[in-house]
Amino acid sequence: MKILAPFVLILAALMTVVYLDDAPPRADVVFVDTAEVFTLDPQRMSWMQDFRMAYALYEGLVRWDNTDFSIEPAAATWTVSADRLVYTFIIRDDAKWSNGDPLTAHDFVYAWRRAILPDTAADYTAMFFAIAGAEAFFNWRAQQLEAFAEQKAELDPQARAKAAEALWRRTEQQFEQTVGLEAIDDHTLRVQLVRPTVYFLDLVAFGVFYPVHRPAVEGWALNDAITAQMRQHGWKRVDEPDFADREFANLNADTGRFEQKHGWTKPDRFVGNGPYVPTHWRYKRGLRLGRNPYYHSPDRVASDSIETISIDDINTAILAFESGRVDWLSDVSAEYQADMLAERAAYDLRYADRIESMLANGRTVDEALAALPPPESGERRNIHTFPTFGTDFYSFNCRAMLADGRPNPFADARVRRAFVMSVDKQIIVQRITRLNEPVSTTFIPRGSIPGYVSPEGLPYDPERAREELKAAGWVDRNGDGLIENAQGEPFPVIDLLYSTNTPRYKNISLALRDMWRRGLGVRVELRGKESKFFKDDLIQGNFMIGRGRWYGDYGDPTTFLDLFKTGDGNNDRGYSNPYVDGLLAQAADEPDPAKRMRLLEECERFLFDEEVPMLILCQLVQVYMYEPGKLTGLSHHPRLTQYLWQVKVVAP
Amino acid sequence: MIGLIIRRLMQLPIILFAIYTITFCLAWLIPGNPLQNPEGRQPPPEVQQAMLEQYKLDSPWRFYWDYLGKATGISWVLGAHDRPFDLGPSLTHQDWTVNEILAAGLPVSITLGLLAMLLACAIGLTAGVIGGVKPGSAADFATLLIALIGISLPSFIIGTVLLLVFGVWLKVVPIGGWGGVRYTILPAVTLALPFAAYIARLTRFGMIDEMSSDYVRTARAKGVPQRQVVLKHAMKNAFLPVLSYLGPAAAMAMTGSFVVEKVFAVPGIGTHFVNAVLSKDLTLIMGVVLVYSTMLILFNLVVDVLYRWVDPRIEMG
Repeated sequence: MKILAPFVLILAALMTVVYLDDAPPRADVVFVDTAEVFTLDPQRMSWMQDFRMAYALYEGLVRWDNTDFSIEPAAATWTVSADRLVYTFIIRDDAKWSNGDPLTAHDFVYAWRRAILPDTAADYTAMFFAIAGAEAFFNWRAQQLEAFAEQKAELDPQARAKAAEALWRRTEQQFEQTVGLEAIDDHTLRVQLVRPTVYFLDLVAFGVFYPVHRPAVEGWALNDAITAQMRQHGWKRVDEPDFADREFANLNADTGRFEQKHGWTKPDRFVGNGPYVPTHWRYKRGLRLGRNPYYHSPDRVASDSIETISIDDINTAILAFESGRVDWLSDVSAEYQADMLAERAAYDLRYADRIESMLANGRTVDEALAALPPPESGERRNIHTFPTFGTDFYSFNCRAMLADGRPNPFADARVRRAFVMSVDKQIIVQRITRLNEPVSTTFIPRGSIPGYVSPEGLPYDPERAREELKAAGWVDRNGDGLIENAQGEPFPVIDLLYSTNTPRYKNISLALRDMWRRGLGVRVELRGKESKFFKDDLIQGNFMIGRGRWYGDYGDPTTFLDLFKTGDGNNDRGYSNPYVDGLLAQAADEPDPAKRMRLLEECERFLFDEEVPMLILCQLVQVYMYEPGKLTGLSHHPRLTQYLWQVKVVAP
Repeated sequence: MIGLIIRRLMQLPIILFAIYTITFCLAWLIPGNPLQNPEGRQPPPEVQQAMLEQYKLDSPWRFYWDYLGKATGISWVLGAHDRPFDLGPSLTHQDWTVNEILAAGLPVSITLGLLAMLLACAIGLTAGVIGGVKPGSAADFATLLIALIGISLPSFIIGTVLLLVFGVWLKVVPIGGWGGVRYTILPAVTLALPFAAYIARLTRFGMIDEMSSDYVRTARAKGVPQRQVVLKHAMKNAFLPVLSYLGPAAAMAMTGSFVVEKVFAVPGIGTHFVNAVLSKDLTLIMGVVLVYSTMLILFNLVVDVLYRWVDPRIEMG
């Protein structure tokens, strides 16, 4: 039995490791989000789950109301000048950082400068170009860095470091002098805009405009005297430490860049000004939030602690929900989701009358569901679909030539119209995706932006589709069931590109292939690719028709329509039309909000009644799981920006 | 023996360098930009360029040498970098460095892998001995059947069924995550089953062989009780093929638990092998591959040394 001794020893050691690595007790609310949180740095965020954290850990100047998305004051109140070019924000006196330092106007200047600097390379830099001088400053700094990198070879390392620092000082000055962003005093922030951007407050409510605490972000080495001083007046009144004394920031002597590390987002170093602070964050395990002791309105915060745990596999996540370990799943994309939704439909159907009467009495859907008897087998009430502020579509490549040099048949708007009108979208949402998404003919989800009226768009009309093709010269001339042009050349085999990360797009693409073959007499070849490869082909225009999807960022039509600008970074279609560019430019300079909306309506009408650079399928829906009546505080608004501090588990 | 160890250790850097170079070439050829969110909006081209430069992704040559220097600690020795063995920041999980990611995941993967191996040995040896002592009996048939199921059923089915039974119906274990013994049992069992099945079959055939050999007959003739014949004499020799399987199996259990990690939401390293490649997270790919290759090489060395110690007849180069 001697041989067993090492095994027993190893086992004992392993069990000790496992035992010591114990999980903390359950938080008040536990949820599983779409994916792992990537970053807690608001200026670097670009994913939904990250922004959810931004709204819990920081507080912006203003905030969207979560039911109708009007703007309400958060850390500040504001006034707007008559010409809508100058916004003045007054920061509330009791606003504090989670370490007790006061929140000042300088914090916003610092955070926004960070976002504008090319050194930070933030995804949303371009949003800040609404501020006067920001774009010019970005380009100036980028040029200076390029010049610096070229001339550095002539200098010795020490001189280079000095030169980098001198350039940095010049950059700080340049920012102060040329960008329309000014802290008039500790509590007053003045912003000068390039043009009357009517949706500017909507931008300011977006996570990337939220403040960060400079000494924490840069990792300043502090002593008690400086800490005490900052407690009184914030960091602006104390001397900046040398770069050598900043743990997370330095100047790269080779490139001249201001480099920032991300160590400050860990719970022990984090400083925020929101309702919560992170208390535990373990990679791929979970991120737990607890109350920020210095938050100015603790009574707004519904739960003491809230945790997002990492469960990659949706089947496991659903089991975790069923077992009660998780209170909310924010993205139920399992292959059997349609069957679960059918169970919900069965439940709704049985109690249709009672639900309707309760809704008529002013109760919410969740309240109505909670008041009903529990579901029987084959029924459920804990799965919910919500239409979102996003659209599912297929892009037509609109360039004159394809990537391989052949002429592109889809450069002709008549061909695009024919392809759009021969698709029966109702069949796709009922039989293929089985989610019954609201089908759509326009890019901007209908009715999602107050004061904006969507155009008609093109209907499902196979007859008209064939006429459009005929007008473009594509007819079946030799009776083989496929169409040819006047020279007798067949319509090129269509290269249909989709991503394989979910089965959804394969299934839709197959349905489209059949509809077009039967309705128009064209051959379609499917090309499924993994999402990185897919995106690469899309950007390079290596496709004829490609799958796409878009969510709006802020409550204005331009968050959708800017995609059709010539040369826009998200214009995968390569679409370019001077009329569209002109309307967008005109709208950007229009100070009258109503007139501006009419211009944008005309733009979308032209795009989706006549040009159709995209085949619009439907408004995207999001599928949540939570027990109605047990979990409260989730917004059902299409923007689906959930404020975690409103979410609470009430007694089941 | 010492010569063997020294020779192997001297080969280590050369093998690692080759692995590094090949992995880098393959990883660089993956299309796409690791800093890009394929479903989100694209920043302006100048910003994208700035991002690439920040992570030295604008030139393969620069990245290759820079990373090599920092990861091996050569840059640190030369005074060009502030710490050794810096595997860089993850390109997709920007708030974490690859060192932090590995430090969080490696202990989990190793613990889970070793626990699974112990379980596999316990189950596999017992079943194999029972079957091998009386081949053709009902007990033998039963263990063979269980082994067959263990090998042929994929772990995501076994795992999901276990979760459903013990997590949802009986509610005796929590679903998803890591931390404490209760989280560990199901993934360890699921991971152990295919290995246990294989070990059971190895042991069974070994036992059948040994039980019919001359020394067992002699022992029996001397009147040694059956229990002692099996446990003291036959099993020791039947264990040898199992031992040579344990090395690669343990390595596999610690690296190849992608499916088990996914089904049970275990925060180990296995998932990075796949996800880092899919998102072209170069620093994470290189870091994971380097650390794992080092571990594998050392692990194989340990098994070889053990093997020679157990059976001195074996010659090794």
